[in-house]
Amino acid sequence: MFRREFLQPVFLCLSLFLIGSRNVAAQTPPEQALPNGGDFAPMPAGKLPTGVILVKGAEPSASDRATPLPEEGRVARNVYQNRYLGLTYPLPPDWMEAVQGPPPSDRGGYVLAQLIPAATFKRPTKGTVLISAQDMFFVHAPAGNALEMIKFSKEHLQPYYEVERSPTEVTIAGHSFARFDYVSHVAQLHWYVLATQIRCHTIQFVFTGQDVEMLESLIGDMNRMTLPAEAGATSGRGGGDSPVCVQNYALAKNIEYRTDPIFDVRRFNPVPVRIVIDKKGAVRHVHVISAFSDQATKITEALLQWKFKPYVQDGKAVEVETGIMFGSRDGITAIPSSTSLD
Amino acid sequence: MTRRVVPLALLLCLTFSLQDFAQTDPGVRGGAPGAGQPLASVAANNPANILNFFNAGKDDFQEIDSVSGTVAGEEGSGLGPRYNSRSCVACHAQPAVGGTAPAVNPEIADATADGARNTIPSFITVNGPVREARFPFFFTNGVPDVNRPNGGVEDLYTITGRIDAGSCTISQPSFATAVATNNVIFRIPTPTFGSGLIENIEESTLLANAAANLNNNFGVTGTFNREGNTGTITRFGWKAQNKSLEIFAGEAYLVEMGVANELFTQERPLPGEGMNQGLPAACKINPTPEDITHFDGVSEGVMSDTVAFAMFMRLLAPPTPSTTTPGGATSIANGRNLFSAVGCATCHTPTIRTTASKFTPSLSNANANLFSDLEIHHMGTELADNVSQGGAGGDEFRTAPLWGAGQRIFFLHDGRTRNLRNAILAHNSPGSEANTSSFIFFNNLSAAQQQDVLNFLRSL
Repeated sequence: MFRREFLQPVFLCLSLFLIGSRNVAAQTPPEQALPNGGDFAPMPAGKLPTGVILVKGAEPSASDRATPLPEEGRVARNVYQNRYLGLTYPLPPDWMEAVQGPPPSDRGGYVLAQLIPAATFKRPTKGTVLISAQDMFFVHAPAGNALEMIKFSKEHLQPYYEVERSPTEVTIAGHSFARFDYVSHVAQLHWYVLATQIRCHTIQFVFTGQDVEMLESLIGDMNRMTLPAEAGATSGRGGGDSPVCVQNYALAKNIEYRTDPIFDVRRFNPVPVRIVIDKKGAVRHVHVISAFSDQATKITEALLQWKFKPYVQDGKAVEVETGIMFGSRDGITAIPSSTSLD
Repeated sequence: MTRRVVPLALLLCLTFSLQDFAQTDPGVRGGAPGAGQPLASVAANNPANILNFFNAGKDDFQEIDSVSGTVAGEEGSGLGPRYNSRSCVACHAQPAVGGTAPAVNPEIADATADGARNTIPSFITVNGPVREARFPFFFTNGVPDVNRPNGGVEDLYTITGRIDAGSCTISQPSFATAVATNNVIFRIPTPTFGSGLIENIEESTLLANAAANLNNNFGVTGTFNREGNTGTITRFGWKAQNKSLEIFAGEAYLVEMGVANELFTQERPLPGEGMNQGLPAACKINPTPEDITHFDGVSEGVMSDTVAFAMFMRLLAPPTPSTTTPGGATSIANGRNLFSAVGCATCHTPTIRTTASKFTPSLSNANANLFSDLEIHHMGTELADNVSQGGAGGDEFRTAPLWGAGQRIFFLHDGRTRNLRNAILAHNSPGSEANTSSFIFFNNLSAAQQQDVLNFLRSL
């Protein structure tokens, strides 16, 4: 049983479409009876919904509806809440969510929320806030934590930007964040980036604008956030109410039984997958981050049969979360970081 | 579970209502076409005889096809039985041979040329863009069936009634119904200038560029479309669905003009027609393939039309940008820097290096200033066409190369706008990777800065 983003609106629109057929203006009638095939249709007919992506490419899915997913964070009553990350972020006054971001990428990247000034915003210059996440199991950079990720960003900053503040650890809402500032002089725009790690995901808050006072104010507002105890620029490995996250746990030495998915269609896309293994070693949750539906079905069916050695921490078996990449990595090989995630 | 978001129209209203709209698209850059010439080494005939191949390809590219090849002035043969237009140059004309949709739509005249009896669909207008049409879904009992994705090209016209069509009698697709039910999308021709450079970029170079671009704070990711058998990166077409220029040419020759060729060897029915009885025998007039190698030819005369088209496109020089028009050198330079700073260059990579080429020196180890990463990206609900091609889903498109944008009339895959500012605005919608960059462009840049970016784009 798989969960699909946006499926309900599609069914709703389809239902309305099927119900609400109406007459339409006539085209010049053909000289003969319409031939068979889907290229020819008599009138009247209903309308397809607009503004809905009905034909999906690679998209996320999960094996169950109960387990929270990173991409399910939402803004409700001016608070961004993400159950998977255990994060709440009250939106700054006079800011609002813009539009949904794209689906998670095949490298484990997420656009969690995009914020813009609301109509009540009074300052003379505006700004933009991007909240994103990178699954560190599939990260493109040689980084093992949020601080290393930010340092990588600084070292690979495009030449048209200038560093204003090198990556530094700061405390926000009682947790450590890596902060990195840079500027574009031609655009007179500043980027203030704050990153922390939760469940082996680097969570980034990117504040962009000309008004540095406004940007500092936005950072100050971050202190109203709540985060899980594990959150930190160099920590964030799960635990507590969440599974412990361990990179590369799906190795032969840890697997007691596996069956591989057999695909019907040959594809070449990377398919990053996160699984949660229970205390007995059974796979209790599969999150296919990006895959075509046929791939997701086969991978999920297979992974739910896998059996692992229970993961033991401090002498106790605990739930563990790990990542597996199916398919191609698209030629991008992660370089081992100085700080291993396990 | 659905996400609560502000409706797009309200959002755009709220977001941009206070913007200064003084900034405008300068429009199509005037003056001589900055494109259409052969690559420098081709013009220098290096290697020997290559210029003849270029010119022969250009001649074929401009040849008008009829069904029989016996109609005066239409010496090419193999047209139809279904087609969108009658020559390559009809659609690839702006600002020069090899380009994109011209100011006057040739598909108006194509409808009735040589006695053809076609109804011109409502979306084809004399001053509108050249368009091909696709039905995202098949019809079932008169309604689009979302459980039966289609996405194939529905050719506008048939040869029925033409003086050289014999007894072929077939109908046009149900365009009026498709329009009335929102079950039609459009594509305009992609310009082909500089495409030999695009063809000659190593996959490792593209992958390295993609990896470097992942280090961005705009929420941009992207991926590559890949060929189904070899798994190699594909790069031509609106969804990067075609591997090579020869495939691109062969498919277009069949789909747009109805000419079966050595790459696509049979006449093409419509997608639904093909799943049923196919084309009537009376409409399969010529032996196939209709376009073949000329065994009696010498040198460039040996090439099939398909190979000639590909060779012409491959050897076309990239567009030459202006350093001063529009807006002056300072504005253009400033716009270029702003374009990068606000994140546009994350996808619209300004320059990618080609590898060594066996064809001609100008293709070798050259800078392709294409302003594209050749990746496909989610572009959101506003631009989604619900057509899947290869690994590209309904809202994924190749980053459109921007070289030559200064002299293009129509923008976006369906040619919906002539206005660059509107084209940028269309990057912003639910599900788009370009939202953050777009917000920064409209929210955080001054009107003068936005104008500089528009001037820069029209300088290309």
